[in-house]
Amino acid sequence: MRHFLVLFAMSYLGASLCVWWLSGFVPWFLLPDFPFLAIVFSGLFVSGIGGFLCALPPALFREITASGPSWSMFLGSMALYFGSREIGRRFLLRNEASLLSVVVSLLAIESFSVVLLLSLAGAHPFSILWGAQEAVRIAWTSLIAVPLFLDLSMRWRRVKE
Amino acid sequence: MGTFFRKWWRLLVAASLLVAAIQVFVRPSPAIERAEPVRATGVALFRPFFLAVDSVREGVSGVWNRYIALVGVTRENERLRREVVALREQLHGTRDAILENRRLKDLLRYSETVGRRTLGARVVGHDVSPWFRAIFLGTGSEAGIEAGMSVVTPYGAVGRIHKTHPGLSEVLLVTDGRFAADVMVERSRVRAVAEGIGGNFCRLKYVSPVHDVVVGDRIVFSGFDGSMPKGVLLGTVVSVDRPKESLFQKVKVQCAVNFQDVEEAMVILSRPSIPFRAGRD
Repeated sequence: MRHFLVLFAMSYLGASLCVWWLSGFVPWFLLPDFPFLAIVFSGLFVSGIGGFLCALPPALFREITASGPSWSMFLGSMALYFGSREIGRRFLLRNEASLLSVVVSLLAIESFSVVLLLSLAGAHPFSILWGAQEAVRIAWTSLIAVPLFLDLSMRWRRVKE
Repeated sequence: MGTFFRKWWRLLVAASLLVAAIQVFVRPSPAIERAEPVRATGVALFRPFFLAVDSVREGVSGVWNRYIALVGVTRENERLRREVVALREQLHGTRDAILENRRLKDLLRYSETVGRRTLGARVVGHDVSPWFRAIFLGTGSEAGIEAGMSVVTPYGAVGRIHKTHPGLSEVLLVTDGRFAADVMVERSRVRAVAEGIGGNFCRLKYVSPVHDVVVGDRIVFSGFDGSMPKGVLLGTVVSVDRPKESLFQKVKVQCAVNFQDVEEAMVILSRPSIPFRAGRD
């Protein structure tokens, strides 16, 4: 329950603040994707059905705040959860480097998939400038993820103990 | 076989969900619309934040003028400065009201020239993803807004309604990669298909090298495909490239509207003549 509430609050407030900031205050590539981080965290560190339940609200928030085709972002986010769950089970993620590489890989794979899908659908809204901005977003989000994940996972381990 | 599934079921579920997401992306199913109530509940959860944007915008400038700007003021000048600030506030408030009044008058005047039933709406948020270009309006299905309706300002086209919910509508901007519409060059009447390319730009597709398009030409919607009213301005041509090996010219158009600055927009409340499928533009 504690996991659920913390991740729910983080993703909800994060998504809301991003929507607010984006309304003319901060460029999109400087905004970390908080619901994404909540989904990956629940996949990597929250085991069992609890992790699945924790991933549901942020996936719904991503679906609502991104204008993709109906339910595509939700399904993609749940695939992200199961992918990160598998990584969490197979690898021991206790140091910064491994966490950073996992988050960077997942962000890059997701971004590449959407770009590929849009390109295959005939849309070409991406430029070199966009690529550079997206790289900044991925780097920025990953850098935030490392201390956040380590801190949250350590706190919960202490609570368990 | 059983062991394999037990070992890898998470990855298999992830792959199945990905395939489902791709399927929804490429070919949205009408069956998925049944899950709309869940989406509507989520939107209702976010709506206060969308609406808070307006009040925060107004509040931030108010707090700045009333409190933060006064930090460091000496006691001797306090009374005088307060008076000056109060007067400035009044002046700013009046100026802001005048500007808003002017924008609304422009909208009203424009709505009369459009000749169709229209609805003014306030922009309350922007899409947060890096892949899509969209804005949110604070008016939704309760006001008669439907997917596919055009959204314009007196300065030019904004986009098309993508999804509607009670109290909130999502507008796909003309710069989104999924937006495409029939347009023409105002001067030479050359027709083309405009497609969003991100930033504040669109490109024109299928413009033959023999067609007359030059930098500075104004591009307007032709109205033939029913997606936008005829004559609405899309933008101005900023570059024309005629590669020797290509069948078509590469024409880049800067949109007339700066989407980051749009505060109010107008929804044209007439259904497009060509049926619109939500999720596919």
